[in-house]
Amino acid sequence: MKYSVLFIAIALIATAFIAGCTQQAPAQEIKVGVIASLTGPASNVGKNMWQSAQVAADEINAKGGVSLKDGSKVPLKLIVGDDESTQQGGQKAATQLITGDKVDILVGGYSSAVTSAYEQTVAEYKIPFIVTGASSPIITHRTDIDTSYVYHHCPTTDSYGQYTTTFIDQVVRPAVNKKLGAAADRPFRLALIYQDTAFGKGVQSAVNNTITKNKLNIQLVSQQSFKMGESDFRTPLTAIKAAKPDAVYIAAFPNEGAPLITQARRDIGLDTIFLSVENNDNAQFYKDLGQYGEGSIIESRFSPYTAPVGTLADAQAKFKNSYNAKYGVFPDMMGASTYEGIYIAAQAIGNAGTTDKAAVRQALVDLNMPQVIEAMNGGTISFSKDFRESQFDLWMEQLAFNQTIGECRPNIVWPDNLKVVDFVLPSWYKPGSA
Amino acid sequence: MVDFGILLQIVFWGVYAGCIYILLATGLNLIFGVMKVVNFAHGEFLMIGAYITATIFFITGINPYAIILLSMLALIAIGAVVERLCFRPILGTGKLNEIFLSIGLIYIIQNSAAVIWGDEWQSIKSPYEGVSIPIGSLNVPLDYIIIMVVTAGILVGLWLFLKRTKIGREMRATSQNRKGAMLVGINVERMDIISFGIGCALAAAAGTLWVVSGQVFNPYMGSIPAIKAFAIIILGGLGSIPGAIVGGLLYGIAENGAAYYFGGIWKDAVSFILLIIVLVIRPTGLFGESGE
Amino acid sequence: MDLYLKRDALVRYGTPALIGIAVIAPFLSGNLYLLNILTLMLIFIIFSSAWNLLAYSGQGSLGHAAFFGIGAYASTLIAAKSGISPYVTIFLGAAVAAFIGILIGLTCVRLKEWFLAMVTFGFAIIVQTITVSLLTPISGGWDGIASPRLLSPDIAGYQLIEYYSILVITIACILFIYAIMKSRIGLAFCAIRENEIEARAAGIDPVRFRLVSFAISAYLAGIAGALEIHHIGYVTPEIFGVDLSFWPVTYVIFGGLGTLAGPIVGTIALTIIWDGLKMLGLTFGRYIIIGVLLILVIVFLPKGLVDLPNEIQRRWNARREKRMKADTATLKE
Repeated sequence: MKYSVLFIAIALIATAFIAGCTQQAPAQEIKVGVIASLTGPASNVGKNMWQSAQVAADEINAKGGVSLKDGSKVPLKLIVGDDESTQQGGQKAATQLITGDKVDILVGGYSSAVTSAYEQTVAEYKIPFIVTGASSPIITHRTDIDTSYVYHHCPTTDSYGQYTTTFIDQVVRPAVNKKLGAAADRPFRLALIYQDTAFGKGVQSAVNNTITKNKLNIQLVSQQSFKMGESDFRTPLTAIKAAKPDAVYIAAFPNEGAPLITQARRDIGLDTIFLSVENNDNAQFYKDLGQYGEGSIIESRFSPYTAPVGTLADAQAKFKNSYNAKYGVFPDMMGASTYEGIYIAAQAIGNAGTTDKAAVRQALVDLNMPQVIEAMNGGTISFSKDFRESQFDLWMEQLAFNQTIGECRPNIVWPDNLKVVDFVLPSWYKPGSA
Repeated sequence: MVDFGILLQIVFWGVYAGCIYILLATGLNLIFGVMKVVNFAHGEFLMIGAYITATIFFITGINPYAIILLSMLALIAIGAVVERLCFRPILGTGKLNEIFLSIGLIYIIQNSAAVIWGDEWQSIKSPYEGVSIPIGSLNVPLDYIIIMVVTAGILVGLWLFLKRTKIGREMRATSQNRKGAMLVGINVERMDIISFGIGCALAAAAGTLWVVSGQVFNPYMGSIPAIKAFAIIILGGLGSIPGAIVGGLLYGIAENGAAYYFGGIWKDAVSFILLIIVLVIRPTGLFGESGE
Repeated sequence: MDLYLKRDALVRYGTPALIGIAVIAPFLSGNLYLLNILTLMLIFIIFSSAWNLLAYSGQGSLGHAAFFGIGAYASTLIAAKSGISPYVTIFLGAAVAAFIGILIGLTCVRLKEWFLAMVTFGFAIIVQTITVSLLTPISGGWDGIASPRLLSPDIAGYQLIEYYSILVITIACILFIYAIMKSRIGLAFCAIRENEIEARAAGIDPVRFRLVSFAISAYLAGIAGALEIHHIGYVTPEIFGVDLSFWPVTYVIFGGLGTLAGPIVGTIALTIIWDGLKMLGLTFGRYIIIGVLLILVIVFLPKGLVDLPNEIQRRWNARREKRMKADTATLKE
């Protein structure tokens, strides 16, 4: 008798306990998997992405999290997957996040080679994936697998090439013609030097396509390439100088871009305008460049030292400051888009009102949220219907040397709605000639 | 037809690039000569040398060229420790063991550096950054001239050390005939440590010149120069110091020529094609003894 | 010879146990992560065994990623263009790797040790360069190309079937290597490795056998590469990278150079250590620990982890002997 009472009591407590557990079970937290390269050659970029994601999640959680349909407010829980900068590592990280941690949504992904290795696992398990670091358009353009769950939130090499080439045609070409006193139909002599990888070649083909498609009056007088990680650019630069260009477009990483410009200006005596791709826009680049950066152009969307005037400037400053408060350094651009990636994930889940993957995907399709910290086309983040890419508003910065700090600082010169100062040809500038 | 001025420039940049390779390759060769082991992780010592120079520069702000000696001394010590702990126990075991061991060393040193100094790219500024000297059609930065002079100075110093000092003579004796050297009472293990230390010091010198000339550096920077230096001593012939110098210059020029004619991606491939062609014709390298 | 293929109790019980674990392992966790790790581990067992076979004939390669990658690209292209199942094309792709292996071997047969290491290292770079430049029209350049899957994801539980089929292929490859090691070819490899002049005196043509060893090793490495890429579903030129050339070396040295079990034990042990440390959240520390372990093994266990039981026995015997000697010494006093 005594025993049966005890038994029933235990059974009751156990049932209550289990019931309590199962009642709490639905969505105590939203699991967001962040895929970043924490080890291997890309580890510094990966760290930046992972830390930025944490800053975003902290901000969202400080406001109580994401509101779901049932009225509950649920916090985000970030889980990091280290892709080791390799394909094998990427696949391991993605399967662990998807099938082990059972994440509701994925954010991150750097390097198209690594990302492509686990994209099919993402497709198979139909996990919404917001790519914030891989710059190759192939990520959402490939047709061998269903990429309808993959959303690309960072400008692709196509955009870099298109914006920069258009800027050259609209701003640099007239300025050079004016300086030369030449006819308006003088073809502009552009030289291109690119990293021989998917990234650099992507920029190369974007430049070529933009010129042909828009019938721009730009002539590519020299196209040189170098291996990733190269530190000595004097030989290709010598070839470029021999081609007498009006400007040089560089598709390189910051650790290559800064020495490249220094060697061109100092060693080769190539006194021309250099245009760099957005990923160069970080503090180290300005430090490495020193005085040699003067007059250079960087295409950008997030800079350590400038921001478009208005509300975005405040939002960017807030992000930079809270990142700096937490980690003691300033975030880079891949960090900025990953930070936004977390906000997009939260918004999509909030719009869907559930973590159901198909519903979240539909929410991403229909997404139309105000821009967060980076300037978006039309001021809103939405993904294109064909290849699910968000449309950034990129801008051009020109560098001016600041004697007191011994480094250059950027000013936005294009497009007109964002610009702070006008583009000028430096006094030492030497145009090319046929 | 290529214009002669351009060719001359390419050769000049090749010679400059060759300086770093020559220092690395000479160090490797010195170690090989005495110990008959190849240290595949030699580039990691270049990297440590670069970081030591940069760290001292950040702290004290003294002229970075003056730090070269400190950096070399530090690397003599580190090299001696590595030799004693890692290479000595495997001397004479398997022919390729040192390569396998080096792979382990690469993992350890690169990632320790990433832990200590961070994995970001860094750079320092030379005090003579803006100074250039016009030579013919070239505008040569003073830094490069200093680098070439320092490299030449170090090589001459090494030559004098090997020819004129007692330790140098003992080292050469050990390198020619290890058993014979033992018989005449030379402490060959001491020679091993000294040669390994000097080899590492040469790598540190290369690393210092690398950072002082304004090149960026990170923990993974050493691998590629080390592989190239290794290819150079294979090309020149293992253990032959003139071979290393000729090989280093040949490499610097071949690479830059390849980058000019075929595109930058061919830079490394062409230098290995050159290596393979040489080895097919002469399996012991240009200056190698056929006995090895 | 006996030393390299010792069939002691450990082998007799260890082999079935290992296969048993491999068969039931996927059920120990319903997690695809583990299955994925196991699949990649099997592929790397083939890869490091292939590298080991070349080392068995006395040739150390530092560019085996070249064959791994050629097998992957060739199999992908054949499967994509013809529509044949990847299960067939992996063997065709590997044949292309073997053919290139023979060509590379032809330039290497006269070279030894460091020279060979450097030339093979260079070949991986040359192959990568050609893939992204001259071969871009068919290889897709740096963008890479999509690779047909081993099995369609529509098949229920296809990952399990894939795992078991790769397990079967792995066992077949190991048995093949075992057969070669035991055959006259294996004997010739040993003879060349130990003393080339004596081998020649015994009527063995070192050049021919070196080429055979190159071809077989490249073939098996090609199978491994093709399997990995059909498993991942996308191939890019990063496959020719230095890290993929170094991993099989690390695995084999860790497990035991020149032994059949070495690559298997080494790959399993290092995979467990690597992914275990990763779970603990280590980043750079993982590499440091692997590097330290590798050096410790080279210095203190020159025959690798497979020799650990023997080494313990040896040390134990030596200590007992010493004690006995000491005992007798005290007795004499």
